[in-house]
Amino acid sequence: MSPLPSMGSRSRRFDAPDKALGRERFAADEYPENLLWAGALRAGAPHGLVRGVDTARAEAMPGVVAVLTAGDVPGANRQGFIYWDMPVLCGDKVRHAGDPVALVVAETREILAEALLAIEPDIEPLPVVDGLDAALAPDAPRVHDLETGNVLKQATVRKGDARAALDRCDVVIEETFFTPQQAHCFLETENGTARMDAAGIIHMTVSTQSPFRDRYEVGQALGIPQERLHVIAPFLGGGFGGKDGVTVQCLLALAAMHAGGRPVKMWWSREESLLAGYKRHAARMRFRLGAGADGALRALVCDLDYDTGAYAHLGVEIMALGLEHASGPYRVETLEANGRCVYTNNPVAGAFRGFGVAQVSFAFEGMMDRLADRLGMDPLELRLQNAIRRGDRNGVGVAMTASTGMAECLAGLREHPLWRTRGAWVREAPPLTRRGVGVAAVLNGMGYGRGLADMAVAKVRLTVDGRFRIYNGVSDMGQGNSPTFVRMACHVLNQDESGMELVQPDTDRSHPSGSAAAGRTTYTYGKALIRACEAMRDKLLHRAAMALLVDDVADLELAPGAVRHPATGRALPLALLGSKLHPDDRCCVSEAMMPVTRDVPEGGEAFRLGFPHLIFPYAAHLARVEVDELTGRVAVADYVAFTDGGRVLDPQTYEQQVQGAVAQGLGYALWEDCAAEGGRLLATDLSTYVIPGAGDLPDIESHAVETVEESGPFGMKGIGEVGMNGPLPAVASALLRMGLPMTRAPFTPERILAALGGDDS
Amino acid sequence: MNVLFPATADAVLEALRAHPDARLMAGGTDLLVRRRAGAVAPGVLVCLERVADLNGVEVLGDAIRIGAATTLTAILENGAIRERLPLLRDAAGAFASPPVRNMATLGGNLCTASPAADTLPPLCVLGAEAEILSSSGTRRMPVADFVTGPGRTALEPGELLGSVTVPVPGGGTIQHFEKVGRRKAMAIAVVSLAALLRVEGGVIAEARLAWGSVGPTVVRCPEAEALLAGRAPTLETFRAAGESVRRAVRPIDDVRASAGYRRRVAANLLLRLAEKAGPAALG
Ligand SMILES: Cc1cc2nc3c(=O)[nH]c(=O)nc-3n(C[C@H](O)[C@H](O)[C@H](O)COP(=O)(O)OP(=O)(O)OC[C@H]3O[C@@H](n4cnc5c(N)ncnc54)[C@H](O)[C@@H]3O)c2cc1C
Repeated sequence: MSPLPSMGSRSRRFDAPDKALGRERFAADEYPENLLWAGALRAGAPHGLVRGVDTARAEAMPGVVAVLTAGDVPGANRQGFIYWDMPVLCGDKVRHAGDPVALVVAETREILAEALLAIEPDIEPLPVVDGLDAALAPDAPRVHDLETGNVLKQATVRKGDARAALDRCDVVIEETFFTPQQAHCFLETENGTARMDAAGIIHMTVSTQSPFRDRYEVGQALGIPQERLHVIAPFLGGGFGGKDGVTVQCLLALAAMHAGGRPVKMWWSREESLLAGYKRHAARMRFRLGAGADGALRALVCDLDYDTGAYAHLGVEIMALGLEHASGPYRVETLEANGRCVYTNNPVAGAFRGFGVAQVSFAFEGMMDRLADRLGMDPLELRLQNAIRRGDRNGVGVAMTASTGMAECLAGLREHPLWRTRGAWVREAPPLTRRGVGVAAVLNGMGYGRGLADMAVAKVRLTVDGRFRIYNGVSDMGQGNSPTFVRMACHVLNQDESGMELVQPDTDRSHPSGSAAAGRTTYTYGKALIRACEAMRDKLLHRAAMALLVDDVADLELAPGAVRHPATGRALPLALLGSKLHPDDRCCVSEAMMPVTRDVPEGGEAFRLGFPHLIFPYAAHLARVEVDELTGRVAVADYVAFTDGGRVLDPQTYEQQVQGAVAQGLGYALWEDCAAEGGRLLATDLSTYVIPGAGDLPDIESHAVETVEESGPFGMKGIGEVGMNGPLPAVASALLRMGLPMTRAPFTPERILAALGGDDS
Repeated sequence: MNVLFPATADAVLEALRAHPDARLMAGGTDLLVRRRAGAVAPGVLVCLERVADLNGVEVLGDAIRIGAATTLTAILENGAIRERLPLLRDAAGAFASPPVRNMATLGGNLCTASPAADTLPPLCVLGAEAEILSSSGTRRMPVADFVTGPGRTALEPGELLGSVTVPVPGGGTIQHFEKVGRRKAMAIAVVSLAALLRVEGGVIAEARLAWGSVGPTVVRCPEAEALLAGRAPTLETFRAAGESVRRAVRPIDDVRASAGYRRRVAANLLLRLAEKAGPAALG
């Protein structure tokens, strides 16, 4: 397919004017008339048996419309993806401090707050399972009633006999790495509005990454047939994975069922979002890497433990991606990756940009740096030497038949001035300051992976007044997939953006197209959209032929606002065509599916869904880092990212994805930590949970390495996640170069100062 | 809730007399946060933002008088403060972020009396004096005595902080402020240091030091100040004073940092003074 004409050039995003002018309506902007407020009472106790919930005082309060507890939940009262283990309202047991035990519907926010305070839950405390060690101890209290104790899933993936190979290696490096829980901290916290109409249909407008799946999940949890659930997903004020799977939806639908037909709004405060929202899994990763004296990677054995908190959410799939990516973007002859996904009483962990991979990226890159050190090799050359190339088999044995630009990314970095001048820069460090330059090579599987059809259905309509309306099926949480869809449609239909309209996902209007996740949104929906637009183009040329007195559509073409006959200059305005066609005829719907691999690695059968992947975006990152010896403060002075995302459709959106991911990744490296003590979060709001501000971030230079992904729309593949995986290992690499071997993220001043040594009296 | 907007300091005092349970509100950046958290629920708010005589910066010969309701932005942008009190200016520059500085006031910072208040260590080493107004008259005391503990001040019911007067240090003094927060802006101090050094003929003639966030209120260390006096401002000199600092501070563990980290950094920050006192001193 020919490249988009706008390729390589910057142009205004289709959604920019509405956002810049404040006209864009997010779910949080909905204040329907006559609305009620709903809110949940959170357990407070991280682990306990629910003896009862006394709601009498709250119910008696004027302005309280309903007070609901587990007994009022009509369906299975279980939410989830594959493991339906998370109650909508807890009736028997609470498993983390944010578990909801009661739901209140009230006339105002103030009454709601008072009513929540008036409810008295009677929770008998149980011993708290506060982390991996506590969960895996022989007599650990059980978070769920599992025969396997707190181990939700254990699996091993193998390529060859890695243990035997390890014994034969010239060098073997061993290290254990730890990563924290991380919060998504989207600007728009979890929220939505819902109303049940006279026919019993519940209409919801929610900040969600997965509107179609929400219907299924809410339907199961509350025993409502899916066709009685209507979900609208406007633009999100951020998602990053934290709105993949229901947040407010079940509670909101339940509230709507008790609101007498009035609309109900639920909007979590920042504190509630931190307490009850999903997090990135904390992980512990023990790695053993064996190599030849020449730097060839011969064997990797690793044990990965993911703390999924109180509920499974997507924990098992996240661990699977950790196993799949454990050997990084490298050729490793043999591999044994053991994983455990473990329940604790910590906050619920779930999807987050870099889904299981952000964790292991720290570990495998840490190993590469240590190996380079041991062998006296240049860390970038060692990576380049082992970089996976097209045709190689990856760590779990899948043949890389798609575009594979890892080596090109590293080669780009090698020629970059910031890499070439690193020696001088380090030598010129000011007094009391250490400097180091680090690199990281990372990847991130695109799409759902084998076993879970990664499918999208695109719909485009010619309106009666001759414009084209695109019905987006995958949420736009700010990543810009939907303005890119407009660009694609403009290209295929040869229209200006002024002739386009864009509808965000709505289960009544668009078609199920999966979640906004896994770097798949532009790839899969884009492919479907191209087909739908091509069908629309063919259709319109045929429909116009009669009016233009042409009997071969090859002589016709679409032009902005018209079908044209270049030979005669005659044109039929689309507005005229639109007004004549039957509504059913003005619509085209097409689908597309992402290809998967047929290679199933040994051990891969343990994962029915989402394992392994076939197509990977890659990135090589560089960080120039300074450490203040007096305070342990780490500053990232400069940052460069080379990214292989196939062809670039829109340079600005591409760069924004890279910069946003690097910023979030630096947050993960240096500041962010949902540390809990005894199951209780230490940082409960944004004054104590620290995310970086503008002043803490360097300029981030983004370069595209444009391989061509033949299977992708216009040759692209998704880069939403890969950029997240680089900063933590790149900063760690720089720190190692200055004599600070860090194994525990984030690299707080306190940890750095301890690593610097010296007196600690 | 009843919100009053008096226009003069006298009217404020009058309002406090009429409503004994009223709370004063200047910028509201502490008070409203506490109100949202349910820690205070005032029935009457007396706002200071329109009180002209509590607002503004005035040069009085060798001193600068700052009205209690002067915002941090006004302090940061004031020419006289920039030139003559760089210590206070730097503290204002490290304070929160521009939107918060546009609201937050000096008086509010002092009256909140947080151990981490950014303006307190500078005002203490500068020897600033607080002016307290009440219907029965005016009294003055050093800012160091005004703050009596975490969240506690010398204010009696019905009293109001009117202004702070800061003597301008003589020429030849090095003024240094450093705040260690968990990020560059919008961060509460984990440790802060305000220092005044008078260097004469290559030796420290006088040192005044004050730390924030390492004790219930500002921590001074006369022992370290004495150790520095008469010595060249080298890394060695400042390192030698570290032990007395580590003994003097009384930090706590909290979510932002451990006591051990605070103690160590409090001493380490002194070494920055060697840099400030001239590259020649670095050894
Ligand atoms: C996001 C954020 C960031 C912050 N960052 C910092 C920071 O970096 N450094 C820092 O030191 N602080 C910081 N703070 C705390 C706060 O902004 C400061 O303490 C500020 O100086 C308070 O001033 P105010 O005018 O807003 O006080 P207010 O909230 O109006 O008042 C605070 C208290 O002082 C009393 N009061 C105010 N004026 C007077 C007066 N003239 N006489 C008697 N009593 C009075 C009030 O009754 C109230 O009890 C931050 C706060 C927020 C919300």
